[in-house]
Amino acid sequence: MTTAVTTLPEKDTLLDLYRTMQVIRQCEEELARCHQRGLVHGACHTYVGEEAIATGVCSHLDRTDVVFSTHRGHGHALAKGLEPRQLIAELFGKETGCSGGRGGSMHLFSPEIGLMGTSGIVASCILQSTGGGYTIKLAGDERVSICFFGDGAVNNGAFHEGLNMAKIWNLPVIFVCENNGFATEVPFGESSAIPDVGRRAQNYGMPGLELDGNDVLDIHEKAGEAIARARSGEGPTLIECKTYRTRTHAEGMSDFTYRTREEVEEWKKKCPILRLKNQILEQGLVETHELDTIDDEVSQLIDESRQFAEDSPWPDPASATTHVYSASSEEPAPVAEPDPGTRELNFVQATHEALSEEMAKNPRIFVMGEGIGARGGNFNTTSGLFDIYGGARLCDTPICERGFVGLGCGAAMTGSRPVIDFMFADFVNDAFGELVNQIAKMQYMSSGRLTMPILLRGCIGIGHSAATHHSGNYYPLYAHFPGFRVVVPSNAYDAKGLFRKALTCDDPVIFLEHRELLTAKTAVPEQEYEIEFGRAAVVRTGTDVTVVAIARMVHHVLEVIDELAADGISVELIDPRTVLPLDTETIRASVARTGRLLVVDETFPVAGIASQIAAVQADLGFDDLDAPIKRLHGAFTPTPYSPALESAVVPTPEMVANAVRELVAE
Amino acid sequence: MAHPIQIPRLGWSMEEGIFIEWLKQDGDRIEPGDLLYNLEGEKAIQEIESIDAGFLRIPDNAPAEGETVLVGQVIGWLCAEDEAVPELPVTTVPAASVAPAATPAAVPANIRSAEPATRPPVSTPRARRVASELGVDWTTLTGSGRNGRIRERDVRAATSGGSPVASTADTVSESSSSVRHTIANRMLIASQTTAPVTLTTTADATQLVSLRQQFQAAAADARPPGYNDLLIKLTGIVLRNHPLLRARWTENGIEVSETIDIGLAVDTEAGLIVPVVRDPGGTPLRTLCASISDLVERGRERRLTADEMSGGAFTITNLGSFGIDAFTPILNLPQSAILGIGRIRRVPAIDGDEFVARDQLALSLTFDHRVLDGATAAAFLAELVQAIETPGAMLAG
Repeated sequence: MTTAVTTLPEKDTLLDLYRTMQVIRQCEEELARCHQRGLVHGACHTYVGEEAIATGVCSHLDRTDVVFSTHRGHGHALAKGLEPRQLIAELFGKETGCSGGRGGSMHLFSPEIGLMGTSGIVASCILQSTGGGYTIKLAGDERVSICFFGDGAVNNGAFHEGLNMAKIWNLPVIFVCENNGFATEVPFGESSAIPDVGRRAQNYGMPGLELDGNDVLDIHEKAGEAIARARSGEGPTLIECKTYRTRTHAEGMSDFTYRTREEVEEWKKKCPILRLKNQILEQGLVETHELDTIDDEVSQLIDESRQFAEDSPWPDPASATTHVYSASSEEPAPVAEPDPGTRELNFVQATHEALSEEMAKNPRIFVMGEGIGARGGNFNTTSGLFDIYGGARLCDTPICERGFVGLGCGAAMTGSRPVIDFMFADFVNDAFGELVNQIAKMQYMSSGRLTMPILLRGCIGIGHSAATHHSGNYYPLYAHFPGFRVVVPSNAYDAKGLFRKALTCDDPVIFLEHRELLTAKTAVPEQEYEIEFGRAAVVRTGTDVTVVAIARMVHHVLEVIDELAADGISVELIDPRTVLPLDTETIRASVARTGRLLVVDETFPVAGIASQIAAVQADLGFDDLDAPIKRLHGAFTPTPYSPALESAVVPTPEMVANAVRELVAE
Repeated sequence: MAHPIQIPRLGWSMEEGIFIEWLKQDGDRIEPGDLLYNLEGEKAIQEIESIDAGFLRIPDNAPAEGETVLVGQVIGWLCAEDEAVPELPVTTVPAASVAPAATPAAVPANIRSAEPATRPPVSTPRARRVASELGVDWTTLTGSGRNGRIRERDVRAATSGGSPVASTADTVSESSSSVRHTIANRMLIASQTTAPVTLTTTADATQLVSLRQQFQAAAADARPPGYNDLLIKLTGIVLRNHPLLRARWTENGIEVSETIDIGLAVDTEAGLIVPVVRDPGGTPLRTLCASISDLVERGRERRLTADEMSGGAFTITNLGSFGIDAFTPILNLPQSAILGIGRIRRVPAIDGDEFVARDQLALSLTFDHRVLDGATAAAFLAELVQAIETPGAMLAG
């Protein structure tokens, strides 16, 4: 078998390509053996038969270029420069593994060499690579962002959203589709009417190639051209490499329920390594012994690597929960909150001021969302900033929430500080997987070597007949996931301080603004200041009842607090301000004085923030309780449209007052 | 029929806007889609299109340029050619408020928690905790809470004649726990309602120190008796001869306690507690020692029952470990006497013509002068000093 290439590369390059493919092959075969021996504890997806693709593409990259990969990522990691011993140790679950034992086969991270991560979720890497490309575009340098994905990813929405965004913003991204004919065990021909991928590129307006994925020389040449185009600002390319994996989907699985032995044997004869070897030997470019020497050297390297992994220590079990949050935010320094002064701003103006201040200082900040560019945001969140910072930093998006949230993830991984403005929190539900599987887990998966400075903001809250797709609250949902910071401010003063904190914090922050509070004004200092996450505000002190209220409900309580005081009921009002972390200490200290606790929350009771507050109080402060813990919630229903129905599903100030009175009578 | 021209809501949250100007004249013929007037909403000035057709009628009292208008407010009419112009409504209200308010019956059941089911009278965790701290038997109380639930206020009312401890609204301190409230209350009442006098003296504790060392040397397994154990035991014995030291002042006169139980003040993280040691004078030293260890340990864990903290005839408080000599203990009501133990320190003493080292112990006895006089108290203290100076004789007896 020959190559499509007419001009062969230099001998050194040929030997390098050969060596890289040998490293991948021998390492994979060793891992397969180790899997059988029980040294690999979880999944093990090998790359045997597909070595030419990672090798041909990555031979053009240096350690500053970024690679995003998929569940079958060993080959990409090795071709990008990961040492085999770090890979094997990771699969062995050892401390010396490239993810410190937090990842395994599908979560390989080595950002130091531009390996930004492999992923157990199909197609997310496509979006993350566009984020890598966006970082490079903002920085204005000549790096490239590469993603590898299988044919299984191309019928996923992320493929469409990612390729579209990459082209409309002309990002330096190479999309490499490794079409091995099966998505897990489903034949590509059954899941695509047209089982070719490269030709889809024309629909996005970018070059598309359909290559023989076992011809390393052709891949090397064509990828080289595509990467050169990307580096010179000519935008993305889609490269399909048709290939075949000659081992099972994952080690230990059966293979011949969906394909035949004969087919596998036929493809083994097309082995890309053998093909290159025969080619260069036939042409007399190298001597046999030179290749034999490489084989022996690699064999010795893999032996030593396995030995290293076996000898390596286990990670310390006491460290199992470290790296959920960035090291910089684990121990927040107490900061004094400034005097509010006399200048009044509304909620939107307050966050705008914080955003504007930080954008002026930090060129890595960019804002992305629908209508946040020249228009200034549906809620004026970015008004005027487009004129100052331009379209790259105030980037209007197509309506593809999963796409631009995934892009934001990749941008944060590569050093940008994205602000994703999704207008209504309801809209971002389409991006749920990117949020909880990728953004929330990324710092942990990478054992703390990646930080995730991404701010996701949007409106929540019931009111003005917004109906059910524009009124969800959702914060209890996000508060369930380790890795997030979830902010739900109730006033402009807190909003500015917390927004600024979000823009300097290295953790992903979900910043939810109640739409009914956007125009509410409070005194806001002109100076720059931050409010720590996880520090509740004691809004009013009192002695009889502790009332914890979130967002708009703080205002409902304030509306009736004086009336209750006139009746001899002294209410202490606490606003948690962030629901993750949740400051239950301040609440417990208050209940230790009052003996009574009521939580008022607009959203649903089930598995909610109030449940958590009540559980912690009952657990740690049981002896302080002089009455049952009470919760006042919105109705457990989607939000209705009609004002008559809508007002019946949200707690009212009157209901708050009644709940307090009833609690005092308990 | 005239069509009202009403202020629309521009954007999600707008409740009011500013009327900028009419774009048509009174009397103009208007077609659907014609631009009628400019209105400033939350974000910008917007040209408002007409939905209906008719002749524009702008009443005299229509909003002036720059006037604030409410969403839903009628600002003019589109009339038929000869139609009379209706009056503008006198009061204009936001459209949202016009919507029918939900009646209580319409509120879904799941919006608030259900009423608790009927059940027998119970107490709150806080009430039980405070009862334990104050030595109150809460099971005898009547609760003021829902379904007769006994609450903190009921327990406090039982101990302080119905006046619950007042707390202040605006100052919030870390240590304002219930234990603290209880201590504050009791100390204040003791200071205000008794006639306390404190006598101080020193005892030569050299033999006591020696005795303790012998116990320590002999102890193989269990904790050897310490100074507190020895002093409680000696005090218990001496108290037998001094009934007024274990008496209490009541409205009916002086009552002498028949049992000689002694409270021991213990400092805990939550504050001072006083477990009561039963008949220390009559309890074998080893048993006494184990009993006191148990009380102190469970007291620090706040696991003592109310019974274990009530019924004492006398109290001992020891500040010796803090380097204190003499002090003025406050009476533990309703008792009439409390003994403060100071530190034991080695001091030079004159024996014949020579200085010798002796162990000296400071004692402070506060008594209620309503119940007994100075001579009675001094006689008790003198006998106690003698007991401490020659402990063997007393313990053997």
